[in-house]
Amino acid sequence: MDEGRNGMIDAIYNWIDNRLALSKSGRHLLNKIFPDHWSFMIGEIALYSFIVLLISGIFLTLYFVPSEAIVTYHGAYKPLDGMRVSEAYASTINLTFAVRGGLFMRQLHHWAANIFVGSIVVHMLRVFFTGAFRRPREANWMIGATLLILAIFNGFLGYSIPDDLVSGTGIRIAFSILESIPFVGTNLAFFLFGGNYPGTDIIPRFFILHVLILPLIILGLLAGHLGMLVKHKHAQFKGRGARNDNVVGSPLWPNYAAKAGGFFFLTTGVTAILAALVQINPIWQYGPYVPYKVSYAVQPDWYMGWLDGALRVMPAWEIHLPGHMVPNVFFPGILLPGVTFTLIYLWPFIEAKFITHDYSEHHLLDQPRDNPLRTSIGAAVFAFYFVLFGASATDVLANYLQVSLNVVLWVFRISCIVIPIIVFPVAYKICLELQKTPDAGKRKRHVIIVRDPEGAYHSVESAEYVGYVAPELNPVDIEEVDLQPEIDALNTPKETPQDGIYQVPR
Amino acid sequence: MSETTEEHPDLESVPLDAPQFEVAARNVKRTEYITFASFILALIAFAAFGAAYTQNASTGIFGLTIGLGLFFFGFGLVSWGKYLMPQGPFSEPRPLMETTEKEKELLKADFTSRGKVAIKRRSFLVKAMAAAGGIFGIVAAFPLIRSLGPLPKNSLMTTKWRKGSYLTTIYGDKVKPSDMEVGGILTVFPEDDLGSAISQTILLRVKESGNIVTMAGREDWAPDGFIAFSKVCTHAGCPVGLYEHLEQLLVCPCHQSMFNVKDGAMPVFGPAPRPLPQLPIYIDSDGYFRARAGYDEPIGPGFWTRGGTA
Amino acid sequence: MVEAVKRSLGKRLKALLKPNKKIAAPLVLAAAVVIPQLLFSASAGAGVLSHSETNRSKHYQSQMSQRAAAAAVGAKTPQLQEGRTLFDENCSSCHGVDAAGSKLGPSLHGLGAGVVNLWVSSGWMPLANPGAEPARKPALFDTSQTDAISQYVASLSKGGIPILYPDLKGADVAEGFSIFALNCAPCHTITGAGDALSNGLYAPPLHGLTSTQVAEAVRSGPNNMPVFSTGVVSKSQLKDLVAYVTGYIEHPDSPGGLGLGGVGPVAEGFIGLFAGVGLCLLVAFWIGDRTEKEDKSHSDEEVGVEKAHV
Repeated sequence: MDEGRNGMIDAIYNWIDNRLALSKSGRHLLNKIFPDHWSFMIGEIALYSFIVLLISGIFLTLYFVPSEAIVTYHGAYKPLDGMRVSEAYASTINLTFAVRGGLFMRQLHHWAANIFVGSIVVHMLRVFFTGAFRRPREANWMIGATLLILAIFNGFLGYSIPDDLVSGTGIRIAFSILESIPFVGTNLAFFLFGGNYPGTDIIPRFFILHVLILPLIILGLLAGHLGMLVKHKHAQFKGRGARNDNVVGSPLWPNYAAKAGGFFFLTTGVTAILAALVQINPIWQYGPYVPYKVSYAVQPDWYMGWLDGALRVMPAWEIHLPGHMVPNVFFPGILLPGVTFTLIYLWPFIEAKFITHDYSEHHLLDQPRDNPLRTSIGAAVFAFYFVLFGASATDVLANYLQVSLNVVLWVFRISCIVIPIIVFPVAYKICLELQKTPDAGKRKRHVIIVRDPEGAYHSVESAEYVGYVAPELNPVDIEEVDLQPEIDALNTPKETPQDGIYQVPR
Repeated sequence: MSETTEEHPDLESVPLDAPQFEVAARNVKRTEYITFASFILALIAFAAFGAAYTQNASTGIFGLTIGLGLFFFGFGLVSWGKYLMPQGPFSEPRPLMETTEKEKELLKADFTSRGKVAIKRRSFLVKAMAAAGGIFGIVAAFPLIRSLGPLPKNSLMTTKWRKGSYLTTIYGDKVKPSDMEVGGILTVFPEDDLGSAISQTILLRVKESGNIVTMAGREDWAPDGFIAFSKVCTHAGCPVGLYEHLEQLLVCPCHQSMFNVKDGAMPVFGPAPRPLPQLPIYIDSDGYFRARAGYDEPIGPGFWTRGGTA
Repeated sequence: MVEAVKRSLGKRLKALLKPNKKIAAPLVLAAAVVIPQLLFSASAGAGVLSHSETNRSKHYQSQMSQRAAAAAVGAKTPQLQEGRTLFDENCSSCHGVDAAGSKLGPSLHGLGAGVVNLWVSSGWMPLANPGAEPARKPALFDTSQTDAISQYVASLSKGGIPILYPDLKGADVAEGFSIFALNCAPCHTITGAGDALSNGLYAPPLHGLTSTQVAEAVRSGPNNMPVFSTGVVSKSQLKDLVAYVTGYIEHPDSPGGLGLGGVGPVAEGFIGLFAGVGLCLLVAFWIGDRTEKEDKSHSDEEVGVEKAHV
């Protein structure tokens, strides 16, 4: 209609296109197909939370002062007025009380971090139980595992830098875990902290790791993760028309752009509403970190909970060698996560070699029931870490349930061995049972009341999906779609029917 | 950018009135209204956020306005994409991640043959380059790692407590027996190391009078019902600040290790593997508490070079 | 004399009510604008506190005049007589006649009025049955009766601590916060939420306490709580501490929304996973799943008769 404006846009597009040849590859990008299943959106939650983290984090860095220099706080919060605190703590308090929207941004950042790591874990479980890590996606699985480690680490760093009483205690434990590593531990701890605990360098160093170094690595790996996703294209569940050599679903443009774009805003909205209503990490109530002060009920954020739980349930064992020792915290603090992530990294290869003996390329996903051994191993291992996670709250649980703390700890000590042993055969049996009922998990058929010619009523099950056609449609090859006739039809208003812009008269 | 049918010879095979091109909404008008309404709600909420910001409203108002705005905006976008666009399904071909033997051969041949030309009779260059690069790799690590901090040396083995150190409160006051009643707890430091994370020590008054003998060889370490232990947990280093004076237990708030005070702070429950080191104290002629000596073992959690004895 | 006491008490009453107003005003404001914030409003707690404080102050007034009267007469006052009657009826079965102790309960001699007041006003005493663990429950006696019992028991022996009425005027809450973090947080947690100690013992939550109870608990160390005498927490520090506890532990400043009971990351993680990730997953479920659209073309062909979905 408006020739001038369209001409301008065309000119800009042509200028860019003549330098990057976008038109050659752009169309394939628009055609990228996303499978229609909700479980493929879990990773997106992580991606969007990461964007929220970047944006809110940029806001926070403008006010946070990463310094352990001692200053006297004077400000809005009376119980801290006149207290000698670190600059890091004082600036976080000022950010909370004196900067407009500061507390909201802090809470948004912290909730987004919780959701970020949480959605990574759920995404990883989906990938594991559906066998999406098999060839050719082993490397992407390993990148994902690395991203999980980095997310956990960066969460811990961010939790630590306000230098409050609760997180400071966590840093002390981190020092103890570092120094427990045989041979190099004490050196590592001294190098990281710039000397014996507490040192004066840890807040600035944690800060630069938290806001620059780890986010950059995460960004790089994320690019690799998504790049490989584009290269391999999405895996997909078995279904009508889905084959190993195609992808069935909705195209990037316009369907998925709208859906995923909307999902970004929905994720952000949920996080913002959470940040509005639920207070997180009220460090003004915790006070500044002072090495000889401590609070009971100190826990790390939930994603470190399994480590804290492991520290608690670990029996009081140490290994003493002539002239040397392996401290207690080494086993739950270093060995356990080391073994955990080594197993996660190697799982695709372990499974192919010992369980499935299948090295071929897979783009069609398993239902968890299809591979009972994988599913039950995964469930048992997950149960183990879930119990450890619960063990990080022994004291809070004992207080809440009014049960002896010692009893609660023993319950967890026993549970972390017994529960996985129970979960394994139960999961295995459930898989086998599900295999026998192929319709399990699908929508139930409608029961229809019919009236026969004599006037009597009967209730009968409908034929499969009567009245619902969408899942039964055959996929249309996106490469063969051209909507130009439809656009032409749109431009001739008389012939356009009232309902549905894509309906074209024959 | 209009495409012509010449580029898509089999375009006719996809009829545009196929159900795949219908929108997914059951009631298109209603869906359009809902989508429109959610964008309008988003607009109102964003405007409300702007107003709240200028009024410096509470965190709750900030979050609710912008959160609901984002939520409705996203809701509108998704319902547009989900219900008002062709329902599909569509498909695209997926090239498998395999190459032909020929392609492999060619790449390998190119790589090795060119490499051979480059290295031919010049393997000493490769060796020299590898040596220089290796040395670089090693020395580059020095400033990156070694500059970060000092070596531990002996610092993990000792504290500032030594013979004659006064037991001093965080305010710098020397402690005397009358400062505490039975069941009392006080965090003390050597007078030259106030507030130290390493030297922090707890002084407990366990009973009215008489020495407390926790084990043989410590007969005069705890005079007049007072006893002192390192406040740094032998498990993960938290301050052991929790004292149950009827049970005579010290509990670490972090991982709930429990230490029996009367038994020389032997661990009785939880993950702590070693007792809290006991500080030998005495009351000097002026009536102040002082240390007989420093701790006779490294305080706090274990480390590789701590030694082999428990 | 009595007039002077009354006047000073009037001032004290105002001083006591002041901090509550200060806290209540923003709370009411917040509650008015953000409905969910009503959930964590501490206004109920504020009401209770101001009520009991008022009672106490009023009672203190009458008690002071009674004391003055007792001093003038130099004989057993009606209060002591009332105390004796109540003690004989409710306490002597365990603690013995004249509080000298029996097989069932310890002697109360030498404890002072403050300790008795703390144990009775907190509902610990009388026990539900002999041998039960002391537990917080609604106090059996009103303030005047409690004070009568306390004064009666204190009159039987010397020593111990009197009923404490800390004057919070000019208290330094920052110093109180600092003392709290060092001495109280290791058991009661930094937010005063309370936590589990060893073997079925608990550090109780610090909510719903009067300034008198806080001060008496600090000085006397009930149950397993350590005793903090003046050498550890000075008189002015006690005032600061009580001001912090009754001001900021009772009514935590939570501008960020729901306080989640002050138990920190455990509750936060729960909310983050179930509300945060859970809601996002629900949204994903809506977005990602295929719409199923009623097909008009061959809807009822198989049945061909009236149908109703059940």
